[in-house]
Parts: sequence; C-alpha cells; structure tokens
Amino acid sequence: MDDPQSSGAERPWRRLIVTLAAILPLIGILAYGFYRDPRYIVSPIVGRSAPSFALTLFDGSKLRLDDLRGKVVFLNFWASWCPPCRAEARELEAAWKKLKDKDVVFLGVAIQDSEENARAFIKEFAITYPNGMDSSGKINIDYGVWGIPESFFIDAEGRITYKHVGGIGSAIVVAKVDEARRGIVSAKEGKGDYQSVR
Amino acid sequence: MKKVNFKLQNKIGLGHFKFRIFHFSFCNCALVFALLLSLWVLPAALAAQPQDLEEQTRAIAAELRCPVCQNNSVADSPSELAQQMRALIQEQLKEGKSPAEIRAFFVSKYGDWVLLAPPARGVGLLLWLLPFVALGGGILGVGWLLRRWAKRRAVSPGAAAARDAEIPLPESANPREYLESERERLKAELKELEFDFQAGKLSQADYDAGKLEMETLSALMGKRMETVPARAIPPKPARESAARVKQTTAVAARSPRTWQIVGGAVFLLVFGITVGVFLTQSLRPRAGEQDMMTGGFLTGTQSSGDAASLVAQGRAAFERREYAPAIEAFKKALMADPNQPEAHAYLGMILAQAGHAEGAIMAFDKALAVHPDFPMALWGKGMLLYQTKSDPAAARETLQKLAAIMPPGAEKVEVEKAIADLGSMPADTKRPAQSAPSKPASTGSAKPVEKPMPASSAKLQGVIEVDPKLKSKVESQAVLFIIARPAGGGPPIAVKRIARPTFPLAYSLGPEDAMSPDASFSGKVVVSARLDKDGDPMTREPGNLSGEYKKNPVEIGSAKVEIVLDQVQ
Repeated sequence: MDDPQSSGAERPWRRLIVTLAAILPLIGILAYGFYRDPRYIVSPIVGRSAPSFALTLFDGSKLRLDDLRGKVVFLNFWASWCPPCRAEARELEAAWKKLKDKDVVFLGVAIQDSEENARAFIKEFAITYPNGMDSSGKINIDYGVWGIPESFFIDAEGRITYKHVGGIGSAIVVAKVDEARRGIVSAKEGKGDYQSVR
Repeated sequence: MKKVNFKLQNKIGLGHFKFRIFHFSFCNCALVFALLLSLWVLPAALAAQPQDLEEQTRAIAAELRCPVCQNNSVADSPSELAQQMRALIQEQLKEGKSPAEIRAFFVSKYGDWVLLAPPARGVGLLLWLLPFVALGGGILGVGWLLRRWAKRRAVSPGAAAARDAEIPLPESANPREYLESERERLKAELKELEFDFQAGKLSQADYDAGKLEMETLSALMGKRMETVPARAIPPKPARESAARVKQTTAVAARSPRTWQIVGGAVFLLVFGITVGVFLTQSLRPRAGEQDMMTGGFLTGTQSSGDAASLVAQGRAAFERREYAPAIEAFKKALMADPNQPEAHAYLGMILAQAGHAEGAIMAFDKALAVHPDFPMALWGKGMLLYQTKSDPAAARETLQKLAAIMPPGAEKVEVEKAIADLGSMPADTKRPAQSAPSKPASTGSAKPVEKPMPASSAKLQGVIEVDPKLKSKVESQAVLFIIARPAGGGPPIAVKRIARPTFPLAYSLGPEDAMSPDASFSGKVVVSARLDKDGDPMTREPGNLSGEYKKNPVEIGSAKVEIVLDQVQ
C-alpha cells in the first residue's frame, strides 16, 4: 500500500473500463445498424383483420374479400417485371394444385404493372388461380406492401396470420395455409428473395 | 375629431375648402385601396380551395417516408408508390379526414417506420433526447478537459520539483539531512524560476503556479522535518507526502497516457475490423436500378450467391456494356446453376459481339439444350447463322421457331425478313424446317414446364415416373437425361436434358434433341432415362436413378412411351 505505484496503477484500469463502457455500446449500435436492412418494414398488420377490398379479376368477374369469410385465403402481390415473382410463380401454382380442393382460396394481385404484361405473365406460368389488377395501388398500400412478391395468409375469420416478404416455396405455402386453418398467427415474418416496389 | 377639425378650420378660415379636398381624396384613396385589395385578395380567395388541398397533401406527404427510396419523403419521391400514396392522401383530404387521421392511416399500414420524424415515445423518445444528452455530455466533457489542461499547464513547472521530492530516501541516509538538501535545491529552482520569469520566458500565471507549488513543497518538507527523528530509518511521512504529490502530478500525467494510447489503439482496431467485416458483408453491388444495396447474411437476403441474382447482375453489366464483369457474373451464375439458359444466351451474345461466332453458337446451343424455346438464344443463334451464312437451313429453322413465339413488332419484322432472305438462298433441303410449337415466350426460368407438345410424327412422347419406393432418393438438384439410342446399338442419337425435373414428367423427344444436326431422327430406338445427381452426363455416381421403356425398341413417332425410374446405380 505504501508503494506509490500501486495507487497510481488502479486508475488506468478504471479508465480503461470507463473508456470501454463508452465505446462498446457505440460499436454495438453500429453492428446493430449494419445487421438491419434499413428498408425492411416490419408490418403492423399481421394478427389484425385483413383490410377488405374488391378486385376485378382478369376473367372480368368481381371478387370481394369479405365474401371469402370462412375460407383460408392466400393473397399474393406480384408484378411481371419482378424476377423473384417469376421465380416463385411455378411454386405457387404447384401449391394451388395441391390445395385447391381443400377449401382454400388463392388470390393473386398484380401491382404496378400493365394489364398486358400481367396477362402474359399468367399465361407464361400457366397460373390457374384467380388473379386481378390493383391499378390504383390502394390494395397495395392497404396491405403495406413495400417489397415484392409479398404473400399474406388470412384465416377463416379474416385475420392475417402470416406475412412472407419475397419468394415463397410451395412447402411453406402448404404449411402456412394449414396453420391459418388452425388459426395460428406467426408474428415473425418470412423472408425470401425480394425486391423493392417501384 | 371632425368637430375639432371643423373648429380648427373655421378658426383658420381658409381651411374649409382644403378640408373638403382632403376629405375627398381620403375617400378616393380608401376606395382605390379597397379595390386594389379586392383585386389582390379575390383571386387568392377563389384559388384558396384547390391550392390549399395541394399544399396540405404536400405537407402531409413531406412527413411520410417513402417505402421505395431510402431517406426520401413521399412528397419528394418520384416513385410510382409515392405517387399512389400522394393520390390517396389527396383523396382522404377530400373526404374530410384530418392530417392526423391520414398520418395514423399510414402508420397503421407501414408502422412508425413511415414517419420521417419518429414519435416521441419508446425508442423514438431516445432518438429525440439523445442529441441533447450528447450535446450536454460533450459540453461537460470539453469543460472538464479544458480545466484539466489548464491545471496541468499550471502544475508543470513544479512537476520537476515534485519528482525530485519523491525520490526515495536511501535507507542509510539521514532523512533530516536529505530533506534539508532537497529544500535547498527547491530554493535554487525557485530562483531559477524567478530568473526565467524576469527574462520573460514564463507567463505570470505559470510563474505564480510554479512558485506556489515549490513553496508548498518546501513548507511541507519543513513541517515533516520537525516530526522526523534525526536517525529514523524509514522516512515514511516524507514518502507519503511525496507519493501524494506524485499522484496529482507525475503519474496522472504520464502513466494513464500509455493506457489512453493502448485504449485508443484497441478501439481503432475493433472499429476497423467491425467496419471492414460488417460493411463488406452487408453490401453487394446493385443488380439494377430497382435493386437494393444491402444484402448478404446480415439482412437475411442471401442472394449474392444464387444464380438468379448473378444473372441479374450480369444482365445489368451487359446493358451498361461492361462486358468483363458481365462475363464474370454469368460464369459464376453457371457455376451456381449450370442450367441457366439466360446466362448461356448472354455469354453467346457477348461472344458474338466479340466475333467468336463458333463459341457463340455453342453457348446458344447450351441455352437451347436447357430451354428449347429460349427466345434470346433462338434470336442469337438464328441471326448469327443468318449473318455468317454458314448454315442457312439451321438458321431458317431457328428463326422460324423464334418467329412463331415472338410478339409482333419491329424485331419480328426483322426476323421474318431474314427468313424470307434465307428462303431465297440455296438451302440444304435435307432437314425440312419443322413447325415450331406455339409456346409463350419465356425468358426467365431454367425449368421447362411439362406441357403437352403438339403431335408430330418425328417425336417420342410419354411420361416419366419414379418408382414410389425410390421417391426418397430423388434429389432436388438432379438433372434428368432422356436418351434415345439406335435399336442396333451405338452412340445415342438424341438426348434431352431437363434440370430439376418434377415427376410425373411429360416429355417429348424430337429432332431438336438430336446429337448432331445431320443425324436422322427416325427408325427404331431404345429409350431410357437417367436421373443424374451432378448433372454431368460423363460421370456415373452411385445413387443415380435410371429406367427404360419396357417395350423397347420403339418406333419414332410413338406416343405414350412411359418410363419408370426403378433402378439405382
């Protein structure tokens, strides 16, 4: 204790700890900032009731979401110019073929697209489930769509049970439709290859 | 007032007339002013309604963050979504909704993210407070530092004395004598200090501080001398005081500095590594205008390695005419997925532009092997053959196939012109141009769909299935080869390659699958199929599935050539 060095040596340690205590949180914030995708928008509508809409399908008929109460609805937003949408198109059709007799409605909504291109897309991928155009972007904004493709699963009570941003595989569609049927809500959004809307 | 004026004017006498003039001109002025005012105000009042709406829309849009572009408001963004959002804001304003309600609407759709100014609650509150906390902390910190520096500067002239004072006493020495000699030395130093001050080398403040320090030390030593016994061996009190002096001066100035340097170095190192690692991991080059900058494992969008995004990157580079990075990207895409028709086709285009016609044709053929109707490869191959005039028959066939699937337009006219041109050339009539199947154009996928092909006499058609017992052995990355060999034995005359097949698979094997363009695709053949794990037809891996048509050999032109993959190699 009477050694003058010992009392002096205590301070540097304290200083180091204080310095690190100031720096480490900053590095932590930095790392967190890099970890996050600044454009990723966590949707507040999962678990809430799905915004209702009326859609004119490509075959000319009209469809209202409210009329589908009692059925599980798989809602997919897409555009013909979006490569991840092209990548998932066959998967969705495969899932539809598996599920179409099981009281499920698949519904595709083309956004930010021309009708001609959207129709060509449907023809190219031989899509058989109903599709329509949202030319005003209202349905798109109502569902908070920011990256496409985006898929929503809606249960029989009209509640959104799951949201998937980006390309989705048929296995996930089948599994999540089953969950929606049982009323299970997944707060965590699914992620695939996606791109921003225009 | 008027009365007073009247009286005043009456008194003055002359004034009445003047007053009248004044009165008239005042009225006139007021009228003109009112008119002018109305002229200025009226249009504004008339225009108030729509301008107000525009203004209000803009004001609300300016507070919302555009979901498409980074750090742009909905008011400033040119994106389609922002336009739609602005239209919606205007519509809701017309419906009589308040700005707060409209903001709440967008928050309910996109969350607090959509607000450019985060709400002052929760984490958002921290964002609002943090700048002020940082500012306050900074001011305090700077104040503290300035005070410390001022102190240290004041102390430094005395630091030498203090250092001398803390020199440990030799155990054998007489402490009193030692302290006395030290005091003498301090006195000498004080004189030196005085001399320096008078010579103008020291400021008044420095001199005062140094003098104070030395006098204090000297007084301290004097005091200690009274208590130290003449022969006491460990002169503790003196050392303690010296230690205290040292603590406030020398150590505080010297030792922590090394720690500061070490701490700074560690921080810089960690910071550098963090930035280096995280930045490179979370950024990847944009594949196009629409693409986002971030990606990789950090954001969960692991796309830099997959074929589709590599093709997109290559395509973007190709469109920018940066061929070297384009070739690199396409090659990488082919490494990730050897059955990317687009990558093959683009490589063909680049080769053709570079003048390597043969290499280009090979690349187009590779694309067509995966996807027989790939328009870009058909275009490239057909036009190249047409321009080089090396094989008019093949050129005609390819271009006819392309024309059948092309949408009408200038390009189609060009293709038809080429076909007409080729028709007038002396064509090789050995292989008549076949009618092209009418499939829709496809540019994106490597996986041909199972579609019923139009019946043709020079084709084999059927369905391939996997034995239910072997279904678990089907690998998703596997490639299916459908092989037709001559009934009498020999090398295959036609092979079709299908990447990532889904079973049951309807297939059709025709002249377009022939191994060499001159081989005749007719007669009896033995048809078999192999599901190859690695997609390389030259290697045989254990676990490859294979099967044959049960009624081999079969006449070309037959339908219902069913194959079951029931053997494991």
